[in-house]
Amino acid sequence: MKTSNIRNFSIIAHIDHGKSTLADRLIEYTGALSSRQMEAQVLDNMDIERERGITIKAQSVRLEYKAKDGETYMLNLIDTPGHVDFTYEVSRSLAACEGALLIVDAAQGIEAQTLANVYLALDNDLEIITIINKIDLPSADPERVKKEVEDVIGLDTSEAVLTSAKTGIGIEEVLEAIVKKVPAPQGAAEQPLCALIFDSHFDAYKGVIAYVRVMNGTIKPGMKMKMIATNKIIEVTEVGVFRPAMTNVSELGPGHVGFVAGSIKNVKDVRVGDTITDADNPVAQALPGYRKVTPMVYCGLYPVDNSDYDLLRDALEKLRLNDASLVFEPETSMALGLGFRCGFLGLLHMEVVQERLEREYNLTLITTAPSVIYKIFKTNGEIFEIENPAKLPTPQEIEHIEEPYVKAMVIVPNDYVGVVMELSQEKRGEFKDMKYLDTTRVMITYHLPLSEIIYDYFDRLKSASRGYASLDYELIGYRQSKLVKLDILLNGEIVDALSIIVHHEKAAYRGRLLVEKLKGIIPRQMFEIPIQAAIGNKIIARESVRAMRKDVLSKCYGGDISRKRKLLEKQKQGKKRMKQVGNVEVPQEAFMAILKID
Amino acid sequence: MMKIGLYIHIPFCLQKCLYCDFPSNAGLAHLYQPYVAALCREISGLGGVLSGDIVDTIYIGGGTPTVLSGNDLSQILQQVHASFSIDEDAEISIEANPGTIDFGKLLALRAAGVNRISFGVQTFSDPLLLSIGRIHSAAQGLEAVKMAKSAGFIDINIDLMYGLPGQTTQQLRDSIQKAVELDVSHISGYGLKVEDGTPFATMHQQGTLILPDEEIDEEMYDLATQLLPTKGFTRYEISNFARAGYECRHNLKYWHYQPYIGVGAAAHSFWQGERRNNTADVVTYIRAVEQGMSPIEVRETPEKSTAMAEYVFLALRTVEGMSVPKFDRYFSADFFTYYGAVVTMLTGKHLIVATENKIFLTQIGMKYGNIVFRAFLP
Repeated sequence: MKTSNIRNFSIIAHIDHGKSTLADRLIEYTGALSSRQMEAQVLDNMDIERERGITIKAQSVRLEYKAKDGETYMLNLIDTPGHVDFTYEVSRSLAACEGALLIVDAAQGIEAQTLANVYLALDNDLEIITIINKIDLPSADPERVKKEVEDVIGLDTSEAVLTSAKTGIGIEEVLEAIVKKVPAPQGAAEQPLCALIFDSHFDAYKGVIAYVRVMNGTIKPGMKMKMIATNKIIEVTEVGVFRPAMTNVSELGPGHVGFVAGSIKNVKDVRVGDTITDADNPVAQALPGYRKVTPMVYCGLYPVDNSDYDLLRDALEKLRLNDASLVFEPETSMALGLGFRCGFLGLLHMEVVQERLEREYNLTLITTAPSVIYKIFKTNGEIFEIENPAKLPTPQEIEHIEEPYVKAMVIVPNDYVGVVMELSQEKRGEFKDMKYLDTTRVMITYHLPLSEIIYDYFDRLKSASRGYASLDYELIGYRQSKLVKLDILLNGEIVDALSIIVHHEKAAYRGRLLVEKLKGIIPRQMFEIPIQAAIGNKIIARESVRAMRKDVLSKCYGGDISRKRKLLEKQKQGKKRMKQVGNVEVPQEAFMAILKID
Repeated sequence: MMKIGLYIHIPFCLQKCLYCDFPSNAGLAHLYQPYVAALCREISGLGGVLSGDIVDTIYIGGGTPTVLSGNDLSQILQQVHASFSIDEDAEISIEANPGTIDFGKLLALRAAGVNRISFGVQTFSDPLLLSIGRIHSAAQGLEAVKMAKSAGFIDINIDLMYGLPGQTTQQLRDSIQKAVELDVSHISGYGLKVEDGTPFATMHQQGTLILPDEEIDEEMYDLATQLLPTKGFTRYEISNFARAGYECRHNLKYWHYQPYIGVGAAAHSFWQGERRNNTADVVTYIRAVEQGMSPIEVRETPEKSTAMAEYVFLALRTVEGMSVPKFDRYFSADFFTYYGAVVTMLTGKHLIVATENKIFLTQIGMKYGNIVFRAFLP
């Protein structure tokens, strides 16, 4: 197919604005899958994605569309995640496209995440087609939303397409708009091969599969390709496209989107953002790559059963094959034994990884409370970073500590401005800006410590605004803060995995709440268990879990041993999610209690 | 030739107690006759299978076996004698509710060979008896024991409960005192447990069931376990106390991993390593047996690791504890190879004592038995 008949585009949208449904309609309309084969939300193929209604991993699909001008076009859709944690994935997908569909909910209007992704698309010089979706809703107000898009983002919406992905209204118009507005890719088959790797995944049979967008030249089986950054030369064994199932083709030419396999065993050889070229006729210059992804949130992952340590390592390694943003290294906790300190893009990413480890690898894990990266300036001039509160040196050794700050944008109906500001102040926020998007909706900007955001800012924002608020944030740098380490002692012993770093003014309050919360979580045992919160040597809060007076089955009816045994087995099952810390059995949720106290 | 226990279940009561979740039913008097007939038929069918073995304990439990007439009960025992070889020295026990016996019935039981009787007295306080839904009074409890003695029973057990709604430690002390004065041979002491699906569970949920504080409950447990031995009742199992030589041999079979056969609705058997139980539904049971079909509903041969855990936790219920050589012989295995780590952990917590030849619960271990038992499960 001629390059001029190719269109590469992404869809950007806030969660729940109908991105996946619209993608499904496009697939259905162009006949890539018959409706019989359609499973709701084809592109979200991980169980967790479907259950949570989110897209985690970029997906792509090639569609063929016979346009009204009589020509047949090849449309490559590259789906993108919508959650703030996965902004990085979005930027990768966008770099492989010339255009983007901006979907905005006709009732809700633009949200914080929409803005962030639109700016990413504009940074990538993409042509943006505005789509006002869900016009079938009784509360839809497309005109108001269009005006919002014009006022806030500055896009011309005179040609915005009105759709209802659910009922199928406007799907053809969307396809026509893609054909007419999204520029055809530039590029020539005669030039040396130059292709961008925008994603990869590991296939047990084929090895690493690179998802590529070809800029110039052609890639086909049998040729030797070279990864510019890693300098690896690999023979291409298969090339293909997503329809959406992986389908082999004879070659991928300029403007094409597809996959390349070459019996690559090591996922590190295929670096997302790297450029593939022809080993025999290489390009001199690599395409601009991606910024290296940096985890924002760290936590410890420990197997409840110490003997599962190796299984956990293998599982993490396997997950990393398909998730370059996951980082981990071994660590040891006095309380929890051997485990890993893992870095994530955000809390959702952390939850998703944890859930996949438990579900797909059948592990039972303890997750410690998430932490950001702190910069420690010691009195002796040493400077270093910690991502585990337990590693904080003693106060005497610390000159000062810096913590990461973010710029947070909240979009909320004006009735909730007060509560958002109150919450943000409480979270040590610094007010920056407030802007009316229209007569009823406001965008509020704050500078906030990232640690406060990862605690419970978003949950509380949602509940304080009855679900209306949306949030986006970006790292803006480090700032000095007066921070202290809050330790928790169980039965008189510090449990390192429960230590947290908090602002000194909040330490006493959080300590009290945490101790109270733990009292409710830790089950009664044979002896009384004192729970204390301490800063340095000073105990600031204390509770205790009463001793269980006795625990024994008495009557045995008529030799019914099975019933007795099953009862004991059931009790034991409940204990499997508990970690023995010293003499005390501590349930999994105790380690995350800090997230649920305010 | 093997010695086995025989359990006979009578799934009837005049009224169901408010805490009870055992397989028994009130209001089924019209089924007594068909049930007795079915029971006899099941017993006779088993006779051939077990012809090579000797029954040395028989336990008629319920429910309330004594809702049946002396005649019915004699008929059942006659069938047992006709179908099995019964040891000359066999212990033949029956459970009885003090509100369902009279002197004639007791004499009939004696005549049928019953030599041990166990009364569900629970407490000698009338208000407490009322509050847990018992049909008899404290006076009937006293009277029942005296009558049993007159009828010639020497081996007499009384069940006592603690942790009853509103019960005080003093009330428990009184009940123990009365039982001791009655000069019975055996006392079982059980803590009330609120079981799912019972009226007590509903009341508990609604907040209308006020149980003694845990400290009081523990105090009662301590009282029973400390007072009874001073009165000549040695504790030989977590909940059981007896004068020397009057331990219940049938119940010991459960703890000693010995075989027993259960007949009747909901009866459990442990035979050749297999655990099985009959259907609990009385009508289904009667129909199955009448049609010559097996009333067995569940058969399960626990895996070795489960069987070993059962063996250990059952043996540990006895004060004597578990014999390591017997375990090793039974399973052709080395106990400490399997459970060395568990034993170290439990001895570290002072819950058990382990020597080369036996392990047994400490006083604390008795109180927290479940922690010990769970530790041995796979």
